[in-house]
Amino acid sequence: MSRFYSKIGNVKVLMHACVLSLFIALSLQVDAQDGKKLFRGNCASCHKLEGKLVGPALSGVQDRWDSKENLIAWIQNSQQYLSDNPGDDYAHSLYEEYNKSVMPAMPLDEAQVNAILDYIANPSAGEEKEAGAGDKQMVAAQDSGEDYTLYWLLGFLVVLLIVIKVLLDVKRSVKHLLYDVKGDEGFEKDGEVQDFNWSTKEKLQHWAGRNKVLVALMGVVVLVVVLNVVWQGLLGVGVYQGYAPEQPIKFSHKIHAGDNEISCVYCHHAAEKGKHSNIPSAMLCMNCHQGIQEGSRWGTEEISKIYEAVGYNTETAEYDKPKKPIKWVRIHNLPDLAYFNHSQHVVAGEIECQECHGPVETYDYPMKQYAPLTMGWCINCHRETEVKMNGNDYYDDLHAELVEKYKEEGIEKFTVEQIGGLECAKCHY
Amino acid sequence: MSNSRTYWNSLEQYNNDPEFVENAQREFAEDLPVDEFLAKEEASQSSTSRRDFLKFVGFSVAAATVAACEAPVTKSIPYVVKPEEIVPGVANYYASTFFDGVDFANVLVKTREGRPIHIEGNKLSPISKGGLHARVNSSVLSLYDSGRLQGPTVKGESANWEKVDSTIASKLDTVRANGGTVRFLTSSYISPSGKKAIGKLKDSLGENADFKSVTYDAYSYAGMRYANEESFGKAMIPQYHFDKAKVIVSFGADFLTNWLSPIEFAKQYSDRRNPSKDWMSRHFQFESNFSVTGTNADVRGAVKSSQLGLSVLALYNELAKKAGAATVSMKKIDDDNNVSDKIKTAANELWSNKGSALVVSGSNDKDTQVVINAINDLLGSYGKTIDPKTEVYLKQSDDKAFVELVNEMKSGSVDLLFVNGVNPVYSAPSSLGFDKALSKVGLTVSFADRLEETASNCTVNATPHHYLESWNDFNPKTGLYSISQPTIRPLFNTRQMEDSMLVWAGEKDTYYDFIRKNWEKDLLPKQSKYSYFDSFWNSAVHDGLIEVAKSAGSDSEESGKASMTFGADVAKSASVVSNAAKSSNWDVELYMETSMGVGNHANNPWLQELPHPVSKVTWDNYIAMNPEDMKDENGNEVYPIKIAEKYPAKTAKITVNGKAVELPVIALPGQRRGAVSIALGYGRTKAGKVILQGDQKAGDQKTIGANVFPFVEVVNGTMQYVASGASIEPTGTEYPIGSTQIHDTMMGRKIVNETSLKTFNKHGKSVWNPDIEIANAYGKKTPVQKLDMWNDHDLKIGHHWGMTIDLNACIGCGACVIGCHSENNVPVVGKDEVRRTRTMSWLRIDRYFSSNMTKPKAKEEGIGKIDMYHKMEVPSDYPEAVYQPVMCQHCNHAPCETVCPVAATTHSNEGLNQMTYNRCIGTRYCANNCPYKVRRFNWFNYKADYKFTGVNPSQDDLGKMVLNPDVTVRSRGVMEKCSFCVQRIQEGKLNAKKEGRPVKDGEVTTACATACPTNAIQFGDLNDDNSQVNEISNSDRSYNLLQEIGTKPNVFYMTKVRNVDEERVSEAVKSHGGSSHGHEGEESHGHGEEEHSGHEA
Repeated sequence: MSRFYSKIGNVKVLMHACVLSLFIALSLQVDAQDGKKLFRGNCASCHKLEGKLVGPALSGVQDRWDSKENLIAWIQNSQQYLSDNPGDDYAHSLYEEYNKSVMPAMPLDEAQVNAILDYIANPSAGEEKEAGAGDKQMVAAQDSGEDYTLYWLLGFLVVLLIVIKVLLDVKRSVKHLLYDVKGDEGFEKDGEVQDFNWSTKEKLQHWAGRNKVLVALMGVVVLVVVLNVVWQGLLGVGVYQGYAPEQPIKFSHKIHAGDNEISCVYCHHAAEKGKHSNIPSAMLCMNCHQGIQEGSRWGTEEISKIYEAVGYNTETAEYDKPKKPIKWVRIHNLPDLAYFNHSQHVVAGEIECQECHGPVETYDYPMKQYAPLTMGWCINCHRETEVKMNGNDYYDDLHAELVEKYKEEGIEKFTVEQIGGLECAKCHY
Repeated sequence: MSNSRTYWNSLEQYNNDPEFVENAQREFAEDLPVDEFLAKEEASQSSTSRRDFLKFVGFSVAAATVAACEAPVTKSIPYVVKPEEIVPGVANYYASTFFDGVDFANVLVKTREGRPIHIEGNKLSPISKGGLHARVNSSVLSLYDSGRLQGPTVKGESANWEKVDSTIASKLDTVRANGGTVRFLTSSYISPSGKKAIGKLKDSLGENADFKSVTYDAYSYAGMRYANEESFGKAMIPQYHFDKAKVIVSFGADFLTNWLSPIEFAKQYSDRRNPSKDWMSRHFQFESNFSVTGTNADVRGAVKSSQLGLSVLALYNELAKKAGAATVSMKKIDDDNNVSDKIKTAANELWSNKGSALVVSGSNDKDTQVVINAINDLLGSYGKTIDPKTEVYLKQSDDKAFVELVNEMKSGSVDLLFVNGVNPVYSAPSSLGFDKALSKVGLTVSFADRLEETASNCTVNATPHHYLESWNDFNPKTGLYSISQPTIRPLFNTRQMEDSMLVWAGEKDTYYDFIRKNWEKDLLPKQSKYSYFDSFWNSAVHDGLIEVAKSAGSDSEESGKASMTFGADVAKSASVVSNAAKSSNWDVELYMETSMGVGNHANNPWLQELPHPVSKVTWDNYIAMNPEDMKDENGNEVYPIKIAEKYPAKTAKITVNGKAVELPVIALPGQRRGAVSIALGYGRTKAGKVILQGDQKAGDQKTIGANVFPFVEVVNGTMQYVASGASIEPTGTEYPIGSTQIHDTMMGRKIVNETSLKTFNKHGKSVWNPDIEIANAYGKKTPVQKLDMWNDHDLKIGHHWGMTIDLNACIGCGACVIGCHSENNVPVVGKDEVRRTRTMSWLRIDRYFSSNMTKPKAKEEGIGKIDMYHKMEVPSDYPEAVYQPVMCQHCNHAPCETVCPVAATTHSNEGLNQMTYNRCIGTRYCANNCPYKVRRFNWFNYKADYKFTGVNPSQDDLGKMVLNPDVTVRSRGVMEKCSFCVQRIQEGKLNAKKEGRPVKDGEVTTACATACPTNAIQFGDLNDDNSQVNEISNSDRSYNLLQEIGTKPNVFYMTKVRNVDEERVSEAVKSHGGSSHGHEGEESHGHGEEEHSGHEA
């Protein structure tokens, strides 16, 4: 277990380093990578590169405008632009085409708009860098490697069995030989071949009678193995690691959190505020899916289920149908006796979602339970995780007191356990 | 949203083919040949034996069990459209107002995911100031009462609103056309907008109709209003200021828990009961019943209820002598406990504190109240301790108008009667014959949440919302307006009374719009802070209340009153009072109990199980009698005095004015001899399932308690809750009683440490709150704090949670107990289990009576130890009483922790004694080892066992909604106890961590501390140098309960200080008095051993 965690720790360092370097690189220059982010953050809810959404397709937008300055002005505040430039026919025709609905003014400076335009002009630039980072994340997220011990053991067992079989065959042949040589008298005199005519049961009894210690030892070994199997089985009762039930909508975390890099707390926003990490309301899906009506994997089939839930009529773009809540199947089921608070871990503890939920951004449909969610698993993390005391005034006095207490050990960083995180009433009340 | 479309299986179904209809009723299309099968020969020769069959069954069951090991699939259904303000798992608080015609409180409603689960006080309220009453914070449970009607009814059958409206509209049309008498009978009604809504209905009826509102309260204050009318020219109730009174004299007014505005008065009173402040008020109480207020009094005189008027006259005469006014003639008081002397003392002190004295009376007799007014006038209380400029509107009953209404009804002249907020069939004096009168009314319309005694006799019941589902406004006193807002969508098909009024008046507005318009018109101009209505309204809704300047119109009226001159004829009133006084055996006083009140909340199991503060009896009402009266002339007990699990009470038949009920007789020391008292509010017959007690499966269920409202008489135009000349006949029938405390005295131990103000001011802590010392084998004494068998827990680091309980502020009301039940999902167990001492309360309030026997007295009189202890067990006839809330003391050296074999109860580094239910295996060692007896064992699965179906809210789908989702509902076989509301601690810490700041003092607090109307309970961090608990726990008054056993609790009690003139040293000091060493110096102060003889002037 601890090996596993230290690995996770390493991976985290790597991830942080990765993200940090990316950040530094990005902050130095406004490039297409930034443009992509800006595009996603500001434009993507209404525009696609190819094909109309709420607004027109943006691919080749620079070619459609005669001057880049005008385009930038238009993007920054289209209403202003329209009133300032009554002579711009193209702009006015656009305005007419989209039912006189104005694009909201964008709080972007010129460099940012340029970055977006660069990205639109060349969407694949910067993909390389992103892919690199993504790969590392993938590596980071991968499990800690296969355990080959079992295969080795099995192989060894097979070899052993073959050897035993060969030896037994040899012994039988020798017996036959002896019988042929000595005949019936030899059979009676010599214990070695006495059992030749016995039934298997008699042979076994005879053998067991002569090897009592071995039989007893084997008995003990078998008992231990059986008990161990039963014990392990019992420990697994109620543990549903890897539980991945079918869901009413084939929702892919990979597409949303992975490919589109939507932050976890965009949908699961309550994770930062309260004990539950909510399943988002169907209306929240509509923030994007009002525009994105066709998915990359299942087409309209799955997305239309959202429309059914919120009562959205794609024809009229109105919410005029009856609403039907979506009945998701709950994956992470903590027993009622345990109190768990997401915001405690996400905000106060600054734990990444992935530490407990695994590399969700790589999980396609269906979503699965990554961690065992056993008490031992919780406790272990509380033993090893360091409390983020720095910069949180709540911990100021406590930290000073703890440093004083552990003066001899000379430690300045403390685990959850050291501030009482293993006590019963931290989770059970 | 249901699908309204219908699908058919076949054309036959669509056509309603008779054959199809018949077949549809049958399970199988053809008859099964059962007889044929059973008659077959082969069946008897089958090789499948009975044993084989059982094997198959056994296997199937086992297989099914194994297959069921798989966890069930849990569905998670998010909102389709999430309300903006709801974050799953985070509570929202809404300011609202509770008013049911009896109690008023500004409250905060805690909701989780849109359902109210807990009620706290609103600290902005000038009335309740954040305090609560048990009847208020338990009201959240009544929202989820499955006994509520789910829609309106017509003639007892459920109906829809169209039918209700058409029934009433046709009647109203008749009245509009032909004229008629319409009466609106209501409890005290203080909604300004509601009054206008009723006025709209009145206006819509036109000139022909005779429309009148009649206010009637089950427990009436009409006597006070009439007296004020006679004395000052206006029927009103002024604002009292107990916090400004240095001397308070109360004649039977239980102002701390029931009289007028108890939450407000409890707050005011307790503000002046702190001995460390510059002055502490002195409180005299004269009463027949031993009320909660009486137990808190410094000096108490027990007076027969029929003679309380005489004691008022006696006080008047004493004061009149001093003032040089004319005295009045009066009969002699039947006195057995120095009442006359006590009245004299009271008069002296009142006179020397003129201008800061206050005299009140709980009587509903106009003439008694006139004399009280005269006394206050002599003392110059008006304008000082009584503020006539601020009128209290909470009690507006007009008994004369009610009697007149009943007569009108009897004559058959009332065409239409609305009944709102009252239940007169249950609560009106039986001599009036309200039920018969009701049947003579043309159309009766009630607004009741269930078909109770009155509503079931009315034609239409226009079922209203619960207050937590409604918008309303209130005007509890001059200049104060408060709002109640819905905290949940209406659970049922109900409609607020005011909305119904608007509908019937033909108004288009909803009541919400109506209130807003009304506020914009009336209240917005009265204040200057807000100029826009929306911000004014939003602020009022956010705060739950708003204070405005007294309106110009009424101001002139008020200022006229400020120069109020007392204008009544005292002599005339005095002679009426004197003549009414009787001296016969068995006076009866009918009183309001802290939990049941007038019986509005009879179906609330939390309240039913809340012990009566003084007698500690749950679930029943009873005849409270002085223990001496329970014996015959030979000293043999006619009724058992000691009542416990195996010792039931015995009942008696009590007859008052020809009406009789049978009730158990309970010993209540302090009850005036020759008089008994009985609580009102019990004996409801149509309140719901909670009041049914007994074996549900055997069908042997009876309603509990008996209704004594029929005993009420109308005398001189007002309802009288006292009667004399009753007869009480023992029936010999045994009756089990569920009482939570069967031990009455402290037996000379320092459990509640008590001293007098004189001793407190004069001596140091060592006299009245000495540290307990333990002697070793050589006689060397060491303070118990310094002795230890265990290593200390390291509590210096981080938080160290602690609680302080000021026994001087605690009035014993029980609001904390309900707060705890609500917060911590404490199960209700029912009377039978309470009787078996299996109550589950995490927090109990112990009550101790004083005894005549003390250790020094025994030594003086040469009484042996065994005799002494026997006598110490017996409370004196008219004892003092003290309260002590006891919950888990969270001992730092907890005896429970060391004996748990599975470490289910452990200590946290924040000083909490943690109880882990999922680890507990139920050995109950911990409970046996707990010296405070605060651990509770789950003997049953209260949330499923049929025995608790009727009483335990967690057993019905509706009642479950009140459970706090942050606290585990415990299962059978585990131990539970007070957790210091660890869920609140964790929440407070987390909020601080998330915001990156230290925890503020007062931010983390327990449910009991929040509910306390007197701030007796404080909670906080003992490691925080600036916290209040730190300061209080280090003060001289602080001590630990059972300090001598060295448990080092985190709960600190503050010594009770009674404002009496005698010296009182601590029990601990006294018990050392006999030893040859110790506090000899202090022993000389022990001349106050006659501690219970009351005050000697």
